[in-house]
Amino acid sequence: MLPAERLIVFCNPGDRRSEGIQQARSRLGMPPAVLIPYAGLLLGQPLADLLEQAGYWPDMLPEQEQPLGGVSQQAGQRVDGMQVLDALQGQAQVNSPAPDRQPDLTQLAAQGRDSSRQSRLAAPAPAAPAPDTAPPLLRLESPGGSFETERALIALGAPDAPDADDSLHPYGGQPDLRPLSFKAAGALQDMPGVLHHPSQWFRGYCRLLARIQREAGHLLPSARWTNHPGEIAAMTDKRRTQQLLAAAGVPIPRPLKGSSGEAPVDYASLRGLMLSQRMHRVFIKLASGSAASGVIAYQLNPATGAEVAVTTIGVESYITRPPVYYNSGKLRRYTDSALLAGIINWLYRHGAYAEQWIPKSGAGGQSFDIRQLVVAGVACHSVARVSRTPITNLHLRSRRMTPAEAGLSEDMQAEVRHTAEQSLAAFPHSSVAGIDVLVGSTGRTYTADVNPFGDLLYDVEYHGCSTYEWEMKQLSGRNLAL
Amino acid sequence: MTAVKLSIDYDAFEEGKRIETEIEQLSNSPEAAGVSSLTIGDWGQAYENSSEDAVQALVKHSASFPALRRLFIGEMGYEECEISWITQTDLSPLLPAYPELQSLTAQGGTNLRLSQLQHEKLEELIIITGGLGKNVLADIAAANLPNLQKLELYLGVDNYGFDGGLEDLYPLIAPGKFPKLTYLGLKNSEIQDEIAAALADAPILDQLETLDLSLGTLSDTGAEALLASGKIKGLKLLNLSHHYMSDGMIQRWKNSGLPADVSDQQKSDDEDDWRYPSITE
Repeated sequence: MLPAERLIVFCNPGDRRSEGIQQARSRLGMPPAVLIPYAGLLLGQPLADLLEQAGYWPDMLPEQEQPLGGVSQQAGQRVDGMQVLDALQGQAQVNSPAPDRQPDLTQLAAQGRDSSRQSRLAAPAPAAPAPDTAPPLLRLESPGGSFETERALIALGAPDAPDADDSLHPYGGQPDLRPLSFKAAGALQDMPGVLHHPSQWFRGYCRLLARIQREAGHLLPSARWTNHPGEIAAMTDKRRTQQLLAAAGVPIPRPLKGSSGEAPVDYASLRGLMLSQRMHRVFIKLASGSAASGVIAYQLNPATGAEVAVTTIGVESYITRPPVYYNSGKLRRYTDSALLAGIINWLYRHGAYAEQWIPKSGAGGQSFDIRQLVVAGVACHSVARVSRTPITNLHLRSRRMTPAEAGLSEDMQAEVRHTAEQSLAAFPHSSVAGIDVLVGSTGRTYTADVNPFGDLLYDVEYHGCSTYEWEMKQLSGRNLAL
Repeated sequence: MTAVKLSIDYDAFEEGKRIETEIEQLSNSPEAAGVSSLTIGDWGQAYENSSEDAVQALVKHSASFPALRRLFIGEMGYEECEISWITQTDLSPLLPAYPELQSLTAQGGTNLRLSQLQHEKLEELIIITGGLGKNVLADIAAANLPNLQKLELYLGVDNYGFDGGLEDLYPLIAPGKFPKLTYLGLKNSEIQDEIAAALADAPILDQLETLDLSLGTLSDTGAEALLASGKIKGLKLLNLSHHYMSDGMIQRWKNSGLPADVSDQQKSDDEDDWRYPSITE
């Protein structure tokens, strides 16, 4: 059996995602993943230092090839794990922010170090590891859940930020409107749910991804990505996602655009196009939003001119300064044109995407869509998100059912899986995504969204595995997309 | 006995499919004679197009549907059309065309009329709206429906077309208006407390088995009036589900031993304001 490759996860350590991964690995008897905190990267620490602090064996890093003090090794000699642990202890205690997890990590380092030594001695060129040593696997997790990370990303997206590599930003050449300076962004206050500056956040996120890609490529040239940073950037921008899906022939809700392909750019052009294209019911989505953040189900009555919007966007209006928009856990319903013009213009300023509102199937005043996880090309865990509202995300009090419980036939379930697999295939360098599939009332399927971190699904099993357990079992260098 | 639903979704309508053609095709099919329940769903962008074409086609082909007993015009959800935007028409031509009809349901209040509401056998009339106009209430007040057993009206709010008041409801509950009525629903109303108070001692309660005041803004005020009434004791069901009554009032209903459904308590908006972070997935 091949030795399991090391897994390096970029994340906010201690959050539900990183904990979920570690629990899954522990249950499967796999060594824990090496966790690289976004916070450290955003503080400017080099990836090499963070890898070392996290217990990644330093001798695998090309420019840090010094043996660890006190441990002598010979070719083919198996190193006792405890020996290395002793030798590492002092150093690790200084570096590790979580001393309770330290023995595991150092033990892990010892194992990795052991096999890497063997391979390097067996193979003449260290850059090309011997077949029995798998190159490390790199995994990017959601940067969400931490205001400090959010603020640092907005700062990193500032026009005057020190690192301005926009190569992964799908629309990097278009400047963000009304940007915050590096300093102003760094001074943002935590206001729960407030959408501070989504487009600048996304730019900062793309810059961070570019930097991780750069440094990892240098330090770990043979490493593989579960999802490539460039594709994570593309999945996080709905405009680009839908473009790639359409190009790959995946069925998507029809985008709202004019006869010469022009997309709406603000409230006025949105309404103009809705009337001229006879698309009176649309979903408008913040291009870089997720978890129903910045989503509006919007209708324009061509006969009366009335409009109604159901949305997660809450508004705090002020007389002397611009309104503050926030993610409301209670769906809001707006019919006031001035208010709607404000919200929709704000969305478009940060990049937005409008598509046909596909009537979702359902019964008894409820409708649903399917979150279908795809791992290594194969559809696995799925959840029907059943709601009495047009926006079905689970944290918005939707009910979760199995697709069968929601009334989806075997044939339609197979169709959903197929559509989801097709969707992930549109991202050839990615191996995990949660695909949101709509089943129209006439039985057609459409992909509404591709979520690179759409695997945080509790209490759903596939072949007896949680989502993370299944991923850990399925994802190795042998069957990655890349 | 067959139940059939016909509807035209957005794309089908854009591609030229029409509800009147669907109705005609059904009328020409072998199953037409056995259709006992027919539901007309979305007739194609119902916020722009009224149900008139569907009604005309149903009248024209009524001879093909001798078994029809239940008819629903406008069954569609928010995924297809805002309820308050569904454009209806005068549905009364359907009644003489289907003399054996027992149940008529309409959803959507915009342009809805029932101008000649006369039928010997109709047992159920259900109108679901976000706002029911007082002209429709007047139509019902002028109706001749000797066999009506269930009248269920979703009254809605003035924002969406409810322009009436209690004075428009009194004629509906006048003694002898609907002699066989056993189920009265005056529900989904923003004046639910007033309605409750008006009904609490109304003579019509003596003939009712079910009083349905659900889905509205019923608060402790309306509930007090009901609890003080002697007439509600004869009901088999008092449906107050989806309400704004206090915990204390809910307990009083439970202690009363009356068959009241007090489920689905609503909270006022202030208590329901929570925010979530833009977690990324």
